[in-house]
Amino acid sequence: MASTSSVNGKDTMGMKTKRTVLSIIATAFFAVLSFIIVFPLVAGLIASFRPGTELIRRGLSVDFDFSSMTLANYKYLFGNNVDGQKYFMWYKNSLILTAISVVGTLFICYIVAYGLTMYNYKLKNFLFFLVIATMMVPFEILILPLYKEMISFKLIDTMAGVVLPGLCGASTIFFFRQYMTGLPKELLDAGRIDGATEYGICFKIMLPITKPAFAAMSILCAMGAWNNVLWPMLVFRSAEKFTLPIGLNTLLTPYGNNYDVLIAGSMFGIIPVFIVFLCFQRYFIEGMTAGAVKG
Amino acid sequence: MKKKVLATLLSVTMIASVLAGCGGGSDAPAADGDAAATTDDGAAAPADDGAADDGAADAGEEAPADDAAAEEEIPTSTFGDPNGTHMEMWTFVELHGQHYGNMVEKWNEQNPDRTIEITCTTYPYADMHTKLLTSLTAGTGAPDICDVEIGQFPNVIEGLDTWLVPQDDMAAPYLDTMVQARMDVYSGSDGHYYGIPYHVGATVMYYNMAVLEEAGITQEEVDAVVTWDDYQALGEKYLAAIGNPEGKYWTSVDTAGCDWLWISMAEHGEDWTGGFGGTANVQLDSVKKMLTMQQNWVNSGLAQVSPDGHVDLEAGFQNILDHNIVSFPKAMWYMSRFTNYMPEEKGNWYIAKCPVFEAGQKCSVGIGGTGTVVTQQAVDKDLASEFLCWAKMSEEGEQLIWDNLGFDVCNTVLWNDDAFAHDDNNQYNQFFRNYPYDVLYSIKDDIGTIYTVRISPTINEQMCNVTLNDVLENGVSVDEALQAAQDVVDLEQ
Amino acid sequence: MSKFKKFFYSQKAAPYVFVLPFILSFALFWIYPLCSTITMSFQDIKPAGTEWVGFANFVKLTKDTVFHTAILNSFEYMILTLVLLIPFPMLFAVLMDSRLVKAKGFWKACLYVPALTSVVISGTLFRLMFSEYQTGQMNVITAALGLGTFKWLKMKATGLAALLIVACWRWTGVNMLYFISGLKAIDTALYESADIDGATAWQKFRYVTIPLLKPTTIYVLTISVYAGLAMFMEAYMLWAGPDSPNNIGLTIVGYLYKRGITKNQLGYGSAVGIVLLVIALAINIVQLVLNGTFKKEED
Repeated sequence: MASTSSVNGKDTMGMKTKRTVLSIIATAFFAVLSFIIVFPLVAGLIASFRPGTELIRRGLSVDFDFSSMTLANYKYLFGNNVDGQKYFMWYKNSLILTAISVVGTLFICYIVAYGLTMYNYKLKNFLFFLVIATMMVPFEILILPLYKEMISFKLIDTMAGVVLPGLCGASTIFFFRQYMTGLPKELLDAGRIDGATEYGICFKIMLPITKPAFAAMSILCAMGAWNNVLWPMLVFRSAEKFTLPIGLNTLLTPYGNNYDVLIAGSMFGIIPVFIVFLCFQRYFIEGMTAGAVKG
Repeated sequence: MKKKVLATLLSVTMIASVLAGCGGGSDAPAADGDAAATTDDGAAAPADDGAADDGAADAGEEAPADDAAAEEEIPTSTFGDPNGTHMEMWTFVELHGQHYGNMVEKWNEQNPDRTIEITCTTYPYADMHTKLLTSLTAGTGAPDICDVEIGQFPNVIEGLDTWLVPQDDMAAPYLDTMVQARMDVYSGSDGHYYGIPYHVGATVMYYNMAVLEEAGITQEEVDAVVTWDDYQALGEKYLAAIGNPEGKYWTSVDTAGCDWLWISMAEHGEDWTGGFGGTANVQLDSVKKMLTMQQNWVNSGLAQVSPDGHVDLEAGFQNILDHNIVSFPKAMWYMSRFTNYMPEEKGNWYIAKCPVFEAGQKCSVGIGGTGTVVTQQAVDKDLASEFLCWAKMSEEGEQLIWDNLGFDVCNTVLWNDDAFAHDDNNQYNQFFRNYPYDVLYSIKDDIGTIYTVRISPTINEQMCNVTLNDVLENGVSVDEALQAAQDVVDLEQ
Repeated sequence: MSKFKKFFYSQKAAPYVFVLPFILSFALFWIYPLCSTITMSFQDIKPAGTEWVGFANFVKLTKDTVFHTAILNSFEYMILTLVLLIPFPMLFAVLMDSRLVKAKGFWKACLYVPALTSVVISGTLFRLMFSEYQTGQMNVITAALGLGTFKWLKMKATGLAALLIVACWRWTGVNMLYFISGLKAIDTALYESADIDGATAWQKFRYVTIPLLKPTTIYVLTISVYAGLAMFMEAYMLWAGPDSPNNIGLTIVGYLYKRGITKNQLGYGSAVGIVLLVIALAINIVQLVLNGTFKKEED
């Protein structure tokens, strides 16, 4: 732990007060930072309790005038109507797509990175170069050929068509690789001496100590999958497969925007994800600090 | 540990399904009534919504027949006869899709031997055009019928009849009543019509009559405005009457939209694109005159620069609501912005024709629009074309376009049809002080055309990104700014 | 069969088994599209037919002043994001990882929320916040501070500031998480021995944390270089599209989007993409070689 002090017998009362003060300052610092970061979303949240015309009327004002706030937008969203049904269909699709992509990407990228880090062989650096190279290709230029490919593979309008090309996420591989270079390699030999197979070492010895990287990457992949618009939009053809960002985007048109559903829908889109994240990161990061990495 | 990870992921999936359950779990058939009641009653007039949603709900029940994965409660947008010819239709405005839904039901009643089933998919605006171009280029995956926004039309028309089906034959029965200019806008360089319009988008002047009356200006005075000089004089009178307060202006000029310049070009009978096969030239007299006039207005305090660039944005609506500006020219379709975003302005606004530079000039121009095309990948090109032309150009179709979409329809015969134009149940007739179609009818022969061709996006982009900002915000001289624009445009032609 | 099994489990074959998914994915989803893009950059692609134009697209790029503006903007943005989005998140991560901060989970979640917020909504929110109208949040703040109001999205300096604010908003939390996970890989024993040697907090940070965090830092640096050069979404959000006044928000990918996608000039757009690929790859390969990432670790 990168903490500033630890037990070495010199703790006096003075040190303790100093620690408390520092702790308050540090915590306050993050409180302020978090507030600034969350501020635009709070403004959005407030706006979501007002009719769209109010948003136009007052702009994105952060005033807590409860008299003009109603639950109408949310009632409509949760109500039994076409928009509400569509919204939750998008939501469900997004969650499923995100869950599948995250699990798939993490698993594949982990083993690839493992292969790129833990062994020395001829093609290693070349393969790593390829990984870096694919990371630098702007996706926009691949759209047309990739789309043609998906058609010939018969993957158009399928989940596989959306997920497969992104499974081997170069940046995720790269992150795992960077993380693993910092880990002690002696564990491999120790494992081999104990009679574990190469694959056993990969999954039983290295995987547990790579968990912080999994935490960071699950978050990153979730974000990518959750926000991805362009590619899913090209692959999906039927409206009932659309994801949340695609759906929300359809509410913004040159012929006017549907603010009522847009703002409320987006805000509700954040909350469950926020909660899931809160649980996840607790589970991942805090839960395993004890005894995870002891070289 | 692996198990725990798995468990967490499973729980995420569970949350997903629970959420899905509470959203779509309830009975679908009840949806139609609710939706009709709660649908944003802006661009959609409540009157015919019920019909559309009935269609949606019906289709929803029938969906499992052709798509095993589709659950019963999924709201699809498939309309019509499941045994008929199936067509895919893409749009970027959901209401447009519903229009075809309504029309397909009527079509099937009238043509029981050639029924149609249509699935309308609403995509995000920019992405729909990307997807259309990608699938047209790839030669597969395009829909039968597709909406194309006019700004994107040049890219799609590029493919002429290798991509699109010419509509000349099927459109012929309706042409004598249509505004010719709007058909021309969606024609290709080979002279064929490829897109069918929704509306004219005729530009008119919107005046906040309520505020003007407070300042002692009467409707007669507004009606008496013929030239831009008259318009300017009336503006000066208005500002003087309210004591020239800071932050109040007669109008606002745009830095992110070319509407004013289009009006000026139409009035002078010029077109900076040069039409098909012509050479683009932005250094036109009409453009210079308009920009010079606007620059003077900004300097004299008669006009402000529209906040965030033009009036069709959130800040623009606020500006209008705060009565910071009391008049501005905009296409007829801007009416729906009033009903959607500025309902409290009901009864305040008056629609009049645009001023001209010299009496006798044309005084309007068709701006914006969406042309609907039939692609060469359509299953039954003839049927798709016939249906499309009928759905958008027949009187029945036009009636629905006006009622549900609030567009100034292209069928001129309807403009002075009393039942159509003076229907007091129509929300736009209720909202404005005068009947919009009366104004439209009075300028019937004065609507000019600016073509949208290959070079148009470049011109538009250069104007909105650089030229207008330079002239109106940064005080660059008109000649200098236009020369710079011409240089950029020349690089592209 | 057992021979195969033996081979499969051998130390020689294992790495290839591990990297197989990448090789497959590369072969299936990268080789064809990439070659196809490179070919397209030498072509003029029209619906009627495709014409081979040699280097014409690239020659045009050298004369295209709008493209030069885009490159300049992207570089400016990239460098500034490197300055803002590496040191600060690193410091935040170290602070967050210390025992001083209470309620860590909550703060982390807050800092991370922007990344999960759909671009559609964050775009709308920020566009409204940076509106030049007096009700725009940023103008409310600057007016309260007595600075008056700004036309945020119309001027170069404020436009860039807006972009950086959005970038920091979206990425601070994400970069911080990278560093936090990097910190977890550092052996706590090192800090303990540093304590015994009487090292100050700064010395521990300077001589233990920074060197041992290097792999993570290199990762963040590499992706930031590319993300900075390839930035598009933030600008698209703020200006509600790829167009901005005087092109102050135009980036390389924004230009690629405009040409290749909005205007459907696939050949020219591909050429823009290839230029970006070459620039980003060159910078990063140099950076990675200098940092010794390609070195064979012979231990």
